[in-house]
Amino acid sequence: MFFRLLMESFVRQRRRKMLAGVAILLGTTAVTAMLALATTIGDRIHKELAVYGANIVVYPKADLLDVKVGGVDVKPASGGAYMKESDLEKLKGIFWANNITGVSPELAFKGKLEGSVNQNFVPTQVIGYRFIRNFLIQKQALALHPWWRLNGKWPEGGMADASEVVLGSKLATSLGASIGTAVYLKKDNGSYAAFALDHETRPHTLIVVGIVDSGDQTDDAALMDLTDVQEFLGLPDAVSRVEVSARTKPEDAFARVDPDSLPPKQREIWYCRPYANSIAYQIREAIPGAQAEQIRRVEQSEGNVLSRISGLMWLISAAALLAAGFAVSAAMATAILERRGEIGLMRSLGASKGAIAFLFYAESGLLAIFAGTLGYFLGSGLAAWLGARIFAGDGGSAQAVLIPVLLPVVVALALVVAIAGSTPSIRAALRMDPSTILRADA
Amino acid sequence: MPTLSLVGMLQRSLVHRKARSFSALVAMTVSAGVATALLTLYADLDAKLHKEFRRFGANVVITAPASSPLRPDALGRVQQVAGVDASAAEFAYAVATTDTGTPVVVAGTDFAAVKRLDSWWQVDAWPDPAAANGALLGQRAAQFVGNERAVALTYAGHPVTLQAVGRIKTGGDEDSRIYMPLAAFTNWTGVGPSVIEVQVPGGAASVESTMARLRQELPEMQVQPVRQLVEGESKIVDRTHALMYGAVLLIALTVAVSVLATLSASVLERRRDFALMKALGGSQGQLIGMFLLEALVLALAGVAAGFVVGSAAAWAISEENFHTATLPHLSVLPLVLLLNVAIAAMAALLPLRVLRGLQPAALLKGE
Repeated sequence: MFFRLLMESFVRQRRRKMLAGVAILLGTTAVTAMLALATTIGDRIHKELAVYGANIVVYPKADLLDVKVGGVDVKPASGGAYMKESDLEKLKGIFWANNITGVSPELAFKGKLEGSVNQNFVPTQVIGYRFIRNFLIQKQALALHPWWRLNGKWPEGGMADASEVVLGSKLATSLGASIGTAVYLKKDNGSYAAFALDHETRPHTLIVVGIVDSGDQTDDAALMDLTDVQEFLGLPDAVSRVEVSARTKPEDAFARVDPDSLPPKQREIWYCRPYANSIAYQIREAIPGAQAEQIRRVEQSEGNVLSRISGLMWLISAAALLAAGFAVSAAMATAILERRGEIGLMRSLGASKGAIAFLFYAESGLLAIFAGTLGYFLGSGLAAWLGARIFAGDGGSAQAVLIPVLLPVVVALALVVAIAGSTPSIRAALRMDPSTILRADA
Repeated sequence: MPTLSLVGMLQRSLVHRKARSFSALVAMTVSAGVATALLTLYADLDAKLHKEFRRFGANVVITAPASSPLRPDALGRVQQVAGVDASAAEFAYAVATTDTGTPVVVAGTDFAAVKRLDSWWQVDAWPDPAAANGALLGQRAAQFVGNERAVALTYAGHPVTLQAVGRIKTGGDEDSRIYMPLAAFTNWTGVGPSVIEVQVPGGAASVESTMARLRQELPEMQVQPVRQLVEGESKIVDRTHALMYGAVLLIALTVAVSVLATLSASVLERRRDFALMKALGGSQGQLIGMFLLEALVLALAGVAAGFVVGSAAAWAISEENFHTATLPHLSVLPLVLLLNVAIAAMAALLPLRVLRGLQPAALLKGE
């Protein structure tokens, strides 16, 4: 009997059920979409913030002071310390290895470029990068310098006779070089005198394969493949600087303390939080002789922007939840209030208050579960669509936003709201005298 | 029998069904409140985000050509062109030798301006602006200085002694430099400032136009944007903007449809009133007007209450998230009003087709 009542109620009162159902459906859709977006917004914005480049820099501890003004390094050429490129594999073993999204090693030296043999010398910073992706760890110079605009192609290493080079736009102008022409590389006087002496006198031929426009100091530099530079300098496996991009937690007061001054337990907590400082600390531990520092300009500001935007999304999700809750419970209240006549009839036929309340709650609950589940899928789809539209062209943005954890959460919320919304109306209807209801509302 | 005025009927209808009127009013308040809160936040979003991005420091760099130093009034002119909201600082650079014989870049600048411009610098103690020889040591540079109390530097044979007040830590080039007051720097080296860093507020368009004006004002200088900052900023602001826009639409739609469902159900429920009035000689137009008026009164009351509630919510959200207050925007009121009135009118008119088909006699007889 109970099930028949329940069934008939759904079959016969389709319009009323539709209204309440649509309210729940839309409410859960909005809430699911907002929550799904809010949980993924951190990663998405982090990807966007990658345009600011690396947030951690690693350099040899024993290195001399950088004497750089306006991008021109006037550091004395003698000495200089290096790290081993092969040591970078150890980054995969640190606690927060999965948070490291990009590693770009570089080896820079001061050289002289000539537009044609023995003419038109330009002292230049020559920097070797890894332009191709290494299958072991992502070593992408490009991922960490997204503001570089290239005309031509990136250099490939290991060419037999002439190495490939990409020139900064200003450098290319002052050399009078264009894509396809050859330029000649010499070491700056006295630099690295211990190695590869013949380059002091006999210039190395480079083929220009691209011109890069960066808007910063790279416009005055020459970029080559890291292996070529290592060979040219006779320094296999050497890197002078490594840029690291990592997903981090915005810095708070705890992040700034010196971990070595903490008691062991606190230190462990510090160590296991993805602060830029702790990741830098772990890099120092992993790579011998390396000094790792967060690049505060990027890191501090990024963390700030990230926490503001995701905070905003969470607060708006909360507002959406509240509004949807109100709207759904109002719709449920109306739906029950409309059916006072039915309640009066059932009671006059001898149904107990408990049985009637149970019937109505069962109806609301069923509706909430059906509409809530549907709303979850709709909302997930909507979030995926919105995310893909707004963050189009980032690659990887087509990821599904189906978050299974949200399903029970959303359905439970719909249930609670639907039942809470029905309660006052059911109680009011049950409290009234059946005969009054029936006479007034026939 | 007293004549029934429209106002009288409206009043009775609203008062007599208190519970119903109240729930409709709550629904309208919620819809107006949500719309107000979201639109208010939305209106302020760009300004707030751009303000966050100002923490990245300078987004425009003005460099003097190597042949000629900056003119003495250059900073004043830049400040004038860029406006009072922009912060600017000038820098002078020279390579000096420390007491341990290491070459080091020494920069002369105005500490007060730098503190405002580069809020990401981690400095343990800023020098007293009155002290002529207070200096900041970069954390790497400090390792190459023998005596930090009295930092002895030599530039082209001229010695100077500085007192290191604090250390800077930035992870960038600043770590290998020593910063000192500009006046003392010029006195010592005879080198004038060559770089002005400017933080221009606002989006890409306003940075672009400020740069154009700067180029016009200072034709001999090189005016360059810090490209990744300018581009990244407008990209992220645009995306957040779009995200917020989507959220506003989505939530407004949800609330609107739910409110519509509630209100139109309550209109439908009054089929008996409709039938009775029709039987007593009310015209179709009068009845529709009656329903419409009732819905409009509720909508207006909802807007009044919702604007207050929504503005309070927007204020709380932005205080919580951006730590700055968002004041109520009266400019969102017309849009909220329009939205609510549209919902109310649709709620009153939607069930009309059903009502028109009703036979008063049949309904009143209870069939």
